[in-house]
Amino acid sequence: MNESIHPLAKKTIVWYLAAASLVLILMMVFGVIMLMNQGNMISITPQWFYKIMTAHGTGMVGISALGGTAILWYFLSRYVKLNPAILILNFALFFIGVAMVLIAIFVFHFSDGWTFLYPLPSQSAKLYGAAGALFFLSGMLILGIGFLILYMYLAARLTKVYGGLGKALGWDIIFRGKEGNGPPAAVVATAMVIITNSTALLAGATVLVASLLNIINPAITMDPMLAKHLTYAFGHIFANCTIYMAVIAVYEVLSEYTRRPWKSNKIFLIAWNCSTLFTLMIYTHHLLMDFAVPKWMLIIGQVFSYANGLPVMVVTAYGALMIVYRSRMKWDFASSLFFLSMFGWVAGAIPAIIDATIVVNHVMHNTKWVPGHFHTYMGMGLIAMIIGFMYYFNKTEGNQKHTSIDTFSIALYFSFFAGLVGSFLYAGGIGAPRRWAEHLPQWVLSDQVGAVSGIFIVLAAIIFTARFFAGLRSVRSKVHYNKKSAAS
Amino acid sequence: MYQQIAMYATVFFVFLLALAFAFVYGESKRSADYGPIQKKGYKIRKFYFLGLIAIMGFASVMTLGRLPYDRHQAEATGLNEIKTVEVTGIQYAWEMSEDQFQVGDQVQFKVTADDVTHGFGLYNEKMELVAQTQAMPEYTNTVYYTFEEPGTYQILCLEYCSTGHHVMVKEIVVEPEGGSL
Repeated sequence: MNESIHPLAKKTIVWYLAAASLVLILMMVFGVIMLMNQGNMISITPQWFYKIMTAHGTGMVGISALGGTAILWYFLSRYVKLNPAILILNFALFFIGVAMVLIAIFVFHFSDGWTFLYPLPSQSAKLYGAAGALFFLSGMLILGIGFLILYMYLAARLTKVYGGLGKALGWDIIFRGKEGNGPPAAVVATAMVIITNSTALLAGATVLVASLLNIINPAITMDPMLAKHLTYAFGHIFANCTIYMAVIAVYEVLSEYTRRPWKSNKIFLIAWNCSTLFTLMIYTHHLLMDFAVPKWMLIIGQVFSYANGLPVMVVTAYGALMIVYRSRMKWDFASSLFFLSMFGWVAGAIPAIIDATIVVNHVMHNTKWVPGHFHTYMGMGLIAMIIGFMYYFNKTEGNQKHTSIDTFSIALYFSFFAGLVGSFLYAGGIGAPRRWAEHLPQWVLSDQVGAVSGIFIVLAAIIFTARFFAGLRSVRSKVHYNKKSAAS
Repeated sequence: MYQQIAMYATVFFVFLLALAFAFVYGESKRSADYGPIQKKGYKIRKFYFLGLIAIMGFASVMTLGRLPYDRHQAEATGLNEIKTVEVTGIQYAWEMSEDQFQVGDQVQFKVTADDVTHGFGLYNEKMELVAQTQAMPEYTNTVYYTFEEPGTYQILCLEYCSTGHHVMVKEIVVEPEGGSL
């Protein structure tokens, strides 16, 4: 650890976290509105339901990427000197992209979901006008370009400092028998995310451009199966990578709190290389019900989805348990959330792996089982990591202290999140489809349980966010104090 | 059946996971050297890893022979002729070449779409999802199902297809063998 984060990057990270936390609350409110409508507790039109659904999906993936990027940049800066201009550029492009997406949804009534499955946007453009689809797809493209520039820059920096992405992933240790440990976990994870997410963004850009061209000139068409492959190669990998970025905080902070090393030994490096490969391969589990896809490709979707659970279960989560075991670690907001986030990640991976089993997928695909598992590892895993980092940032850069209200808000968040995902998984088990504005009477109770749970989750998120903004004052005063000290 | 297995398996494994995390949390208040913990932890990890491989291998062996993609599933159940039904999804309806069936009918649904991608989800009278495939323009996905119980079945759209997605429902009637309901 011989580098320090640039002060401008630190300020930008505050912007990333502030935006992520505020949008998180808004998106959670959208989620509650959808559940209340499905549970007959309120009534909104289907048009509004699907607009809110599109905003909720896009917004949640967006803030997950924002939070993950903040974590990656903050910890990677300890090992590699980084230019904050790239982080700022990404934020600016993200902001422009989000503004276009919001205009598409709330001004031009775009409601084709964050997965914009071709040829749905062009079909909607014919019915409701092209502006919504053009704004949405262009906004997503701009947002993607921002992240692609960021990853290209990070790739250049890792190549300069570590001699290439292969070395950053420890290939010289795995394949050439080099002794010792590999680069820090933050570097290994960054290399993995650069490779996988750049691939995802290129796939996404291809399908976005093709969809845009198809809307502008319907004579230009695309094979819908190819488009679906590209869409999920983008969506699955991009969403997955948010957690691979955020987990850097778990490695760094648990190691710091326990005063125990979390070295990137050979097994650790093999696990991350497997994650790199498997994450690229397993998006096909989204196409298990597309029987026209070659069978071997779908079997790969099942088998490697199983295998992709192994690195997190055997190395990362197990490593977290090992490092905390008999460590006499101080339990505060950050350490509690990072520890619980590992539980959330693995707990979500379990129903996800089960759903990747083709015979199970045949009777559970696109039911609420699917949001059940991804809300578990995104909400109780990834978001817990981001919120934990918000506290850690304020504590490290300022002087935020853990209070009893933090213990209360963590308990509130996790208890009711278990209720929310439990209601989703149960609804999926009894066949309730996902993405339906209105539900049959037998599905309504689970929606109501989900909605009530959601209200308390929003309350917990408001407390987290209020505590974060309150804690930022100590960050500012510490920076101000340091500046004055330096001047004198 | 698979829905129940999925739910029970999830509850079981998440419970085990919660136990492991609760145990480590409890032990975190004590202190010990990390070296011996790592040594023992790595030994346990080998068995844990092999255990996971065994579970995943068992699940693969048990399930990969029963894939819903092949016609052998229908052929293996009897000598009856397989009925072919053409299904087309269009915002927001299902067009079918036939929608009256009898118990024992082995049906080959050839599913496609005219406009955007839809999801062909077949629900029985108890509203259990019993089979599905995607309905994609330019492609035909073939899914087999043998009706074993009489009743009113429903086809629900399971792939988001715009604002009328939830009204894209069609009822089909399955009569008892040799008679009407």
